[in-house]
Amino acid sequence: MPEWLIIGLLIVAKLGLIFMVLLTLAAYLVLAERKILGRMQLRPGPNRVGPFGLMQPLADVIKLLTKEDFIPARADKWLFILAPGLAAVTALLTFAVVPFGPPLTLFGHQVPLVVCDLNIGVLFFLGLSSLAVYGMTLGGWASNSKYSLMGAIRGLSQLISYELSMGLALVPVVMLARSFSLTDIVMAQADVPFALVNPLAFLIFLISAVAESKRIPFDLPEAENELVGGFHTEYSGMRFGLFFVGEYINLIILGSMLTVFFLGGWMGPFLPGVVWFSIKVLFVCFFFIWVRGTMPRLRYDQLMHFGWKILLPLSLLNVLLTGALLLWRQG
Amino acid sequence: MLENYLPILVLVGIAFAFAVAVVILSRLVGPNKPNDIKLAPYECGMPLLSSARDRFSIKFYIVAVTFIVFDIEVAFLYPWAVVFKQLGWYGAVTMGIFLFVLIVGFVYEWKKGALEWE
Amino acid sequence: MATWIFYILGAVAVVATAMAVTRRNPVHSVIYLVNSFFALAMIFYLLGAPLVAAWEVIIYAGAIMVLFLFIIMMLELSPGEEADRQGPGALQWLPVLLLGAALLTCTLLLLQLDPAAGQAVPNWYASPRDFGYVLFHEYALAVEIVSFQLLFAAVGAFYVGRAASREKQPGGQQ
Repeated sequence: MPEWLIIGLLIVAKLGLIFMVLLTLAAYLVLAERKILGRMQLRPGPNRVGPFGLMQPLADVIKLLTKEDFIPARADKWLFILAPGLAAVTALLTFAVVPFGPPLTLFGHQVPLVVCDLNIGVLFFLGLSSLAVYGMTLGGWASNSKYSLMGAIRGLSQLISYELSMGLALVPVVMLARSFSLTDIVMAQADVPFALVNPLAFLIFLISAVAESKRIPFDLPEAENELVGGFHTEYSGMRFGLFFVGEYINLIILGSMLTVFFLGGWMGPFLPGVVWFSIKVLFVCFFFIWVRGTMPRLRYDQLMHFGWKILLPLSLLNVLLTGALLLWRQG
Repeated sequence: MLENYLPILVLVGIAFAFAVAVVILSRLVGPNKPNDIKLAPYECGMPLLSSARDRFSIKFYIVAVTFIVFDIEVAFLYPWAVVFKQLGWYGAVTMGIFLFVLIVGFVYEWKKGALEWE
Repeated sequence: MATWIFYILGAVAVVATAMAVTRRNPVHSVIYLVNSFFALAMIFYLLGAPLVAAWEVIIYAGAIMVLFLFIIMMLELSPGEEADRQGPGALQWLPVLLLGAALLTCTLLLLQLDPAAGQAVPNWYASPRDFGYVLFHEYALAVEIVSFQLLFAAVGAFYVGRAASREKQPGGQQ
């Protein structure tokens, strides 16, 4: 077989596998969330479809597929169709730079366990997360519904506010790792994960990540008891499904990013790298669900105050302190 | 470099194909019987009271502009952070002045109440 | 080859910008403008400046266009009204699909002859590291000037917003 064909096949196989795993994981994350939330509220959660409700995701997909998929009158058709696709695609693409294990050797080829180890990986992640607002905003605007528009405007304001502290929390990480490549960042944490080196940055990133995922306590863009469904009120069927899938894939991505930037990525004793990576990501996802089961929703003014008056100054201070400390140690 | 970026393009293709395929599939499988009431924007079952467009607080605009200013600041922080060690004190002082000027602006907005939400 | 890609990308940027100027629906204009920024970002990449390409996406597509969207949302336009005046649905999609396809093809071609593929690192390829070093070492003064500009921008924008809200208040209280 010619060289390029092997490389091409490896790429396609890897991508197909990653894609399937991500989608399955997102589907089962929904089930896990419903189960865990159910247990936290002293009820069993979904348990009718298959043993322990394990076939529930399949039933959900079938239901979404057979629902009527209509476009409201007076909506902007063009954008209404485009928006959910954008939401799902931007979420999926971010995974391209996540290294989920140490390089493998297959058929004499080094296969790095990352779709693409960009030398500007951190910037790729930030760029895509700043584009992620488009799906939500365009969907909310195009629907021509009060609730959707309100949700979109709230969400836009919230996401950009917390994007700042998220970006600033990554600056110390880049300073410590001295690279934009996510693989290098994991390598730099071989001894101590950055969560222990710079706990403040970890905390800021964690809070911003919850805010970026638009979940409780930051779920104002879709607050169901005031805005019905927020920006996706008018969406039905598989278009709604795409928003939903995008949201849960985004959750997995944020978990992976926390793992890569602060929890040492695939590093860990005894077990293989991929296993460590999965354990850490799933733990972070469990934490997000736990937060949802525990916290009340913030009021909008509290949300903006917290983002601009507490998180942003703290993260600026953290950048300055980290810089001063590193220089002082360097002498 | 080619093997480096090609996967991202393939992933773009897969992601778009997935998004298009599921919507088309649901179009084929699901029913399609629109009527006027169904297509009206949702308003808790009531007939529409007013247009969906409403006035918004100017605060949202101020937040967006302040965001741009700080986003550019963060964009400048990244190339600095990656060569932070090589630049040493010289770079630290440069960035210190840069940040100081912006923090002055931030404190000013704070004191003037631009960040207040009632 | 690189010259051809440059011209195609340039054409995409020009056409997308022209579309942005001529659309009646402002949100559609924003979409075309974002398309044009992507073409520009790739031109920067082609010229060997990946960091500037990333900035183009993060700052222009991710921040400034978001401000535009905000302002458009405040215009109280109904989306359906404008769409009625345009042609049938499929035709509306055509330009953006063509532009997107051209962008993707260019990326593919660009990767075929990636500047960094042949030689180790060509002398005109500015890695983020080199870029940062030069920026903060030799052009430190420029960076400080940028910070002052940003300060003026923040204060100015705040005043524009304040004046508008003060004018609105008496009307609102009546």
